[in-house]
Amino acid sequence: MKFPRPPIGTPHMIVYILKRLAIAIPTLLLLIIFSFLLMHAAPGGPFTQERELPAQVLANLNAKYGLDQPLWKQIVSYIWGIVAHFDFGPSFVYKDRTVNEIIAQGFPVTLTYGFVSFLVAVVAGVTLGAVAAVKHNTIIDYFAVGVSIGAQVLPNFVMAPILVIVFTLILGWLPGGGWRFSDPSYWIMPVIALSTSYMASIARIMRSSMLEVLNSNHIRTARAKGLPAHRVILRHALKPALLPVISYLGPAFVSMITGSVIVDIYFSTGGIGKAFVDSALNRDYAVMMGVTILVGALTILFNLVVDIVYGWIDPKIRY
Amino acid sequence: MKLTTALSALALLAATPAAFAADIPEGTVLSENQTYTFWLLDAIKSMDPQINTDVEGSDIVRNLFEGLYNEDAKGDLIPGVALSHDLSDDGLTYTFHLRPEAKWSDGKAVTAGDFVYAWQRLADPATASEYAWYMELMQVVNASKITAGELPPSDLGVKAIDDHTLEVTIETPLPYFPQMLVHGSTFPVRQDVLEEFGSDWTKPENMVSNGAYTLSEHILGERVEMDKSATYWDADKTVMTHLTALTINDNNQALTRYLAGELDRVQIPAGQYPRLKAEYPDEATSLPYSCSYIYNMNLSDKGPEALKDVRVRKALSYAMNRDIVVDNILQGGQRASYNWTHWATAGFVMPDIEYSHWTQEERTAKAKELLAEAGYGPDNPLDLTLNYNTDESHKKIAIAAQQFYRPLGINLTLNNMEWKVHTDRMQNQDFDLARYAWCGDYNEASTYLDFFTSYSGHNNGEFFNDDYDAIMKESKTAADPQPLYTQAEQILATEMPFVPIYHYAKVDMIASDIKGLPTENVMQTWYGKDLYRVAE
Repeated sequence: MKFPRPPIGTPHMIVYILKRLAIAIPTLLLLIIFSFLLMHAAPGGPFTQERELPAQVLANLNAKYGLDQPLWKQIVSYIWGIVAHFDFGPSFVYKDRTVNEIIAQGFPVTLTYGFVSFLVAVVAGVTLGAVAAVKHNTIIDYFAVGVSIGAQVLPNFVMAPILVIVFTLILGWLPGGGWRFSDPSYWIMPVIALSTSYMASIARIMRSSMLEVLNSNHIRTARAKGLPAHRVILRHALKPALLPVISYLGPAFVSMITGSVIVDIYFSTGGIGKAFVDSALNRDYAVMMGVTILVGALTILFNLVVDIVYGWIDPKIRY
Repeated sequence: MKLTTALSALALLAATPAAFAADIPEGTVLSENQTYTFWLLDAIKSMDPQINTDVEGSDIVRNLFEGLYNEDAKGDLIPGVALSHDLSDDGLTYTFHLRPEAKWSDGKAVTAGDFVYAWQRLADPATASEYAWYMELMQVVNASKITAGELPPSDLGVKAIDDHTLEVTIETPLPYFPQMLVHGSTFPVRQDVLEEFGSDWTKPENMVSNGAYTLSEHILGERVEMDKSATYWDADKTVMTHLTALTINDNNQALTRYLAGELDRVQIPAGQYPRLKAEYPDEATSLPYSCSYIYNMNLSDKGPEALKDVRVRKALSYAMNRDIVVDNILQGGQRASYNWTHWATAGFVMPDIEYSHWTQEERTAKAKELLAEAGYGPDNPLDLTLNYNTDESHKKIAIAAQQFYRPLGINLTLNNMEWKVHTDRMQNQDFDLARYAWCGDYNEASTYLDFFTSYSGHNNGEFFNDDYDAIMKESKTAADPQPLYTQAEQILATEMPFVPIYHYAKVDMIASDIKGLPTENVMQTWYGKDLYRVAE
């Protein structure tokens, strides 16, 4: 795609961002169209149930939700609803809720535990990886590697029930599930279950990238200049070592804040992750589309954020 | 002559009014904590009585709203909004006498007009209720034509004689008509509230309801909170002050939370009943529950040729080792079944089905013989597929069936699919064998037996039998339909259009201090107003 040359004096960064946002629109449109078609291709529909519905009732349901229209018309009016009114339509299954309401209820929940998990995973993962690299081949390194492998191989659907058995049933410290914004004790187990495997991945990426940076020329120079070890690591090694971690964090951040179906199922948070899976199983077309668009838009946005952060961290990258 | 009937149960109850709401034995010491927390597997799809279609949704609807009649712990009818009814000589016109003190949560009186509105709304195709067929099933005059869009809803056979007298006309006499009134889709709703708020009327801030509880909070997929209603006519005797329903999508997780004291009732996951019964004898319970589990067979033109041979169908049924299914796989007090209707259904007399008395060895031997006659055996194997929807127990039973059938020369290919795909395939006759379970809509055998009539909407295997249809039609007007039901079951046993496997049990952990739950009601219908917690 060719873009007009930016007028002289416009900062390149802004042009770059605008270009990327311009590409985002057709990308989202394609996402909507493909999801729409795939969804309708799946056997059964939102009103498929054990008892076949009387023809008139089914016709009315289809008319009510626009399913009697040709597919292209449905797509057009769906997109128009979003563009003109930011209206993602009514849920086909939860009949007293709109998609906007379902997302407005579930997304803040997953955003909260996802964001906290993200912070925990980044801080713990980066620290663990960096320490392991700096103390390469020592007992500390082995310990850090051990922890991250352990966290990686323990899937969250195994960890979640164990957490509840330990912290709720045996110790009685934490509520076994549910969600309260006002009470962080409800957040703890979801955050542990969600953050550990991300933390492990971050630690492993960080460790290998840090090891590579520590062997590079500019670090040798810094050391040769006689800089103290902590300055070499914090000022000169940490930033470049973070680059691979950051490219991992963009998609990881999106998948964390849009919720994990495992966390939602095991901790009954009422989050958007479970709503998404349910919508697919229930053929709740509107909710499925709404969440797909939400996840798609966030993915595009945070990939852009990652690229911008890249430029800030790595002086070699230019736009 | 007009019969001042009421059912015998109602007549009895008129003499002993103590049985309404929580019926607490003398000397019981109540706990200070009168709250009840129960488990939901999934998010509640709707709390609108005419829109709800789920069993779990019904548990909520039944506490927020009240219909003409309720059920007691034994499943017998007791007055709800209706105190009694008269039935005309021809058995077609019911006149219900409504309780004058029944109130909505905003203090207005519950009137016959509220029922008229709700029933018309259910049948009206504009409502697009997935339960519109229920009015038809109740045989209310013109229901089917209204749902088909041929007549306006105002032509429905239901009218308000005055505020407290409701008259319902049905098309054919239906002995079990009053039993059908405990179903949530017949509960009243308020026209003015619905018109004001539209589909938002079920939000806690808008909802006006007439049950023992009012909705205080509903977080989709997380929890439902209900408070005791001060305006409910029997509020004085309603002990439980608060009900909470927690959605927990994983049954094992729900069990852990029950054991941690966060829930008062939860289902026991398959296979864990014996262990829990040994460990918690006062809490683990298994009670008959009105559902029947089968492998349905496709007898339609699209089905396999082999299944059109009754010998093959019988062989499939005989070779199914039900004892292994109930004793080794489910282990929750379910009962092996050789017929269709759940054994504990009210008034149902279990027919004497011949093969149910044989030993499994005898059944298997007979199955081999029949298959050989039909031309199949280990040398000429029969290939069939079994479709089942995703579920751990369905899978285990399917694998067991594969093993039962293999020595006979039947190769069963297992075909696991999600529920919507499974349903779609069944409705399009795109299957050989399909796992299926049917749960009774009301406590009477016709809820099962109507299923296999040629005119039923659910007979996906297309078992068409004129004698069967004739018997079921005759049963609708018979003074005592039970002998006809027995005959119908015998036809099913002779023609074997499906493999009966087991009859359900409700296998739950129930906190030992919770009292007032149903004991002998195969529908397992429960009401928060009947519950109470004793001090321990």
